[in-house]
Amino acid sequence: MMLANYIGAIALIVIGFYAMIAKHDIIKIVVGMGLTDYGLNLMIVSIGFNEGGTAPIFTFGELVSGMYFVDPVPQALTLTSIVIGACVTAMALALCVRIYNEYGTVDSREIRRLHG
Amino acid sequence: MEIMDFVKYAVYILIFPGALFTCVFGLWLAGVDRKVVARMQKRKGPPITQPAWDFLKLCGKEVIVPAGAARLMYMAAPYVGLVSLIVTVLFIPIGGLQAFSAGGDVVVVLYLLTIPTLALILGGSASGSPYAGVGASRTMVSVMAYELPLILVLLAVARAAGSHVTMDGYSILGATFSLEMITRVQELIGPLLFDWRLLPAAVAMLLVIPCEVGQHPFDVGEAETEICEGPLAEYSGAPLAVFKLSHAIKMFVMTALFCALFLGGIGTGMLWLDVVLALVFSTAVTLVCMTLLHAISARFRVEQLFKFFWTVVSGLALGSLLLVWFC
Amino acid sequence: MTYDVYMHFPVIAIMTLFVGAFLVTLVGKRQAARNAIAGAAVLVSLTLLALLIKPVMVDGEIIMYWMGNWEPVEGYAIGIAIEVDALSLFFGLLITIAVACSAFYSFQYIKQDDARGSFFTLYLMLSGGVLGIVLSGDLFNIYVMLEVMTFAAVGLTAFRTWNPNAREAAFKYLVVGSIGSTCALLGTALVYAQCHTLNLAQISAILPGELNPTTVLAFALLFTGFGCKSFMFPFHPIAADAHGAAPSSVSVLISGVFTKTGVYGIIRVCYFLFRSMGLSSVQIMLVVIGCISMFVCVTMALNQHDFKRLLAFHSISQIGYILTSLGLCTGLGIAGGLYHAINHTLFKGLLFLTAGSVLYATGTTYLENLGGLAKKMPKTTALFLIGAFSISGIPPFNGFYSKWIIYQATFEKAAETGSIGYALVTVVCVVTSVLTLASFIKVGHSVFFGQLRPELAEAKDPPLGMRIPMWILGGLCVFTGLFPNVMLDYIIIPATGAVFNAVPYIDTAMGEGYAAAHLASTSPFVTPNYTLLGGWDPLAWLVLFVVVLAAVFLCSLAGRSNRDVNCAPDSKHAVFFGGEEAQYSHISGGDLFWGFKHTMRRYLGFVSGAHTGVTNDYVLWGVTATAVIIAYCFAFML
Repeated sequence: MMLANYIGAIALIVIGFYAMIAKHDIIKIVVGMGLTDYGLNLMIVSIGFNEGGTAPIFTFGELVSGMYFVDPVPQALTLTSIVIGACVTAMALALCVRIYNEYGTVDSREIRRLHG
Repeated sequence: MEIMDFVKYAVYILIFPGALFTCVFGLWLAGVDRKVVARMQKRKGPPITQPAWDFLKLCGKEVIVPAGAARLMYMAAPYVGLVSLIVTVLFIPIGGLQAFSAGGDVVVVLYLLTIPTLALILGGSASGSPYAGVGASRTMVSVMAYELPLILVLLAVARAAGSHVTMDGYSILGATFSLEMITRVQELIGPLLFDWRLLPAAVAMLLVIPCEVGQHPFDVGEAETEICEGPLAEYSGAPLAVFKLSHAIKMFVMTALFCALFLGGIGTGMLWLDVVLALVFSTAVTLVCMTLLHAISARFRVEQLFKFFWTVVSGLALGSLLLVWFC
Repeated sequence: MTYDVYMHFPVIAIMTLFVGAFLVTLVGKRQAARNAIAGAAVLVSLTLLALLIKPVMVDGEIIMYWMGNWEPVEGYAIGIAIEVDALSLFFGLLITIAVACSAFYSFQYIKQDDARGSFFTLYLMLSGGVLGIVLSGDLFNIYVMLEVMTFAAVGLTAFRTWNPNAREAAFKYLVVGSIGSTCALLGTALVYAQCHTLNLAQISAILPGELNPTTVLAFALLFTGFGCKSFMFPFHPIAADAHGAAPSSVSVLISGVFTKTGVYGIIRVCYFLFRSMGLSSVQIMLVVIGCISMFVCVTMALNQHDFKRLLAFHSISQIGYILTSLGLCTGLGIAGGLYHAINHTLFKGLLFLTAGSVLYATGTTYLENLGGLAKKMPKTTALFLIGAFSISGIPPFNGFYSKWIIYQATFEKAAETGSIGYALVTVVCVVTSVLTLASFIKVGHSVFFGQLRPELAEAKDPPLGMRIPMWILGGLCVFTGLFPNVMLDYIIIPATGAVFNAVPYIDTAMGEGYAAAHLASTSPFVTPNYTLLGGWDPLAWLVLFVVVLAAVFLCSLAGRSNRDVNCAPDSKHAVFFGGEEAQYSHISGGDLFWGFKHTMRRYLGFVSGAHTGVTNDYVLWGVTATAVIIAYCFAFML
């Protein structure tokens, strides 16, 4: 079952990179960045998952040695990563808007004043 | 003791092998060079003291700073170049006499040698003349050209000398960047010039020397027939004299470096005799690599020069390095 | 623990910057208050880190701080740690010095900008993020700080509303930078999957020794991630764009500081986390990447027409030196790399600030539109020359000393391993150094020397507030060049020692004996051997000083004899050209070095054409590099 997760995560990352490489629309590039990010999040959550484990929510009374639950640290990492990913997307889109205003296009092949 | 050391170093720097001696010997060498070139071309040539008189005469002339020049740089450049050359001499062992030594002084010499050229370039560039601009550009290209073979030669020598180092405490390395060590190795095994593996490197070095000095077939930067001596176009009076002096000293520095790298260790054990011998070798090398080439060849174009150094000369040096490494 | 009080310094140093960032926003429109807060914040963090020199560098302590006092329980470090050893402090100091100088420079410099309000917020966030990376002892924290830093840097790159290229540069930076972030995060996650901890010290103890496919993949990803942040080849084009578009005081940070975090990350990953530096395959990878970065970027720099873009390429070229030197894994190599790292921050900071001054005075950094500024801006010219000589390695400036160590290190490595490849590395280093000199001659000639462009007649030196930070950096360039022994004894050697010996780093965090219990071998990779660390003889220095003094005396004599020489614009002092008085005829930067460019035209044309400026291409390079590094690691590390 986790294999599906990993395959999905890798597929998302690869699709994301593909979009960033092959798509000339800068909005699509941003979407590609987002996809990579989601793949990554899925990967991290899957890493922390234990088959059959419960949610890691306990009060002190309930917590005894030998309890079986999923690893909470990757979930925390994923939360942070999601937040960061959202910010990256927002920032990239803001830049896209400005670039469109300045260049009149969203084609990355024409946005190349800085080259050589 | 401290004071004695200080006096010793002061003598090294100001008299021998430092300022006074290098100036006199450099000017003498320049005179010899001119004389011999003249003789090779069936001219009578100026007296050997001519460069010295020229120097003194120029010092007495008026200094004109062009209106468009960056004055401070323009005036300071020649002196900076001269001082760095004198410092370079102190790092080169002349007949076993080395004023300063540091762990890896080959690199120090390599970098100190760029300063006089840099001074020439910046001084010319600061004068604001278009000729000087072109000259500065060309001079820099020639620096780029000779630096690659020069480092290859230095590495080959460093490796060859280092693989012989079995003296106390130095046996682990297999390579040395210390001119002192290179000299000492040659005392043991004889001059590296007679090591067949280093012959291509020696030839490459002989070609690098005139380029570094800016002598005839490679004097693209100062080509007086095309660009009016390039960086020197606007110079006059004492600064020009100092540049001419630097040029003369450079001939001595480069040949002395050649002698230290390839002809070290030939000696009698008497210091002063060794030094005299080293100076004779310097003169001989000057005659071979500068005078002879000057007399028999025409100037390279700048891109020919670059190509020549990055292919032929570098190839020789690289071949030598490979031979040293694998034979 | 006699150092209890020092324990809090690192965290306060980081927090001051972040708190400063928020306070700057709070005070709103009052410029003086904003400047005061920003200045105070950077000075406080600089002071705090400077105070740590004594305990960390001299006494060899390692400062450990657990956030919220979450100390390790039963050998598992769950809390977030801040751990400062000599290596972290080394980078911390270098960062805070650059940040402080650049902040004070910015007070005047950003007066030309219209969106001044948010500048220091972003600036302090960037500084805080960078400092957080090098002081943190937690892998995920490093990733978060990396993102904070990237964010602030992207914001600052796009900051100049009147610079038409700024948004484009920022966008490329964000997109290509995200590859690096992705790799770093994925690597972190994989490391966590292996070790179930994110604490650097604990990972360093548990992870090494068992190289299975997961750890190799994690290593490759983390390496690429940090490599992307250091803009190593082939991630360099975004650096060039970003440096060129950002305000100069920010370029100082991006080039001098930002890239150093990548270098720091690579050191931590290779020497600590995976302890894989002993493998010759990793050494070769690092050295090859370093050499390619070095050479490609310096040739790109020769092609440039923009002052700041040229500096940007040089910055990657110098990073190449650092990576090469660090990849040697010898005492000399690490010392040279670290020395070059601090030198690079100093001289590149100085150069970017002079570029900023030129921009401030003339409104352009385009080389073809400048010329002859030495007459109008003599102080800036002097500072530029200090920076240019330093980066070109002219003795006795600082670049020379570190390059000297690097050459010796590479050649020593060549002799040690008997491989001629390392000797060729020395050759590449020297050739790069010459090309660096050439491109700075190009800048010097086309900006400061030559003929003054008529339209620049009004240019003048920047105000004192901008000159003082530049003089500080310039002074440090000279100091680190003249007194290498001080630097080596107090800064470089302790940091080098820390790189080689991970055991104290682990034991301080996890308790005595933890490293011995987990590591297969607690001995350092190699015993650092500094015998070849060429040093100047102090007495020789004294005498050299006398010579220089004599030379200065000679100069002043020469100067006196013609002080009355006037430079009147009459025909006597005019420049002649073919018998006519020369009209304006400046040899501009693009026309220099014809012989070189002509001979190398195929290569130069190729590399120049390869930098297409299309985002997709750069992403392609980045992804390819990632794939190649992963493939290489799998092929040669397992």
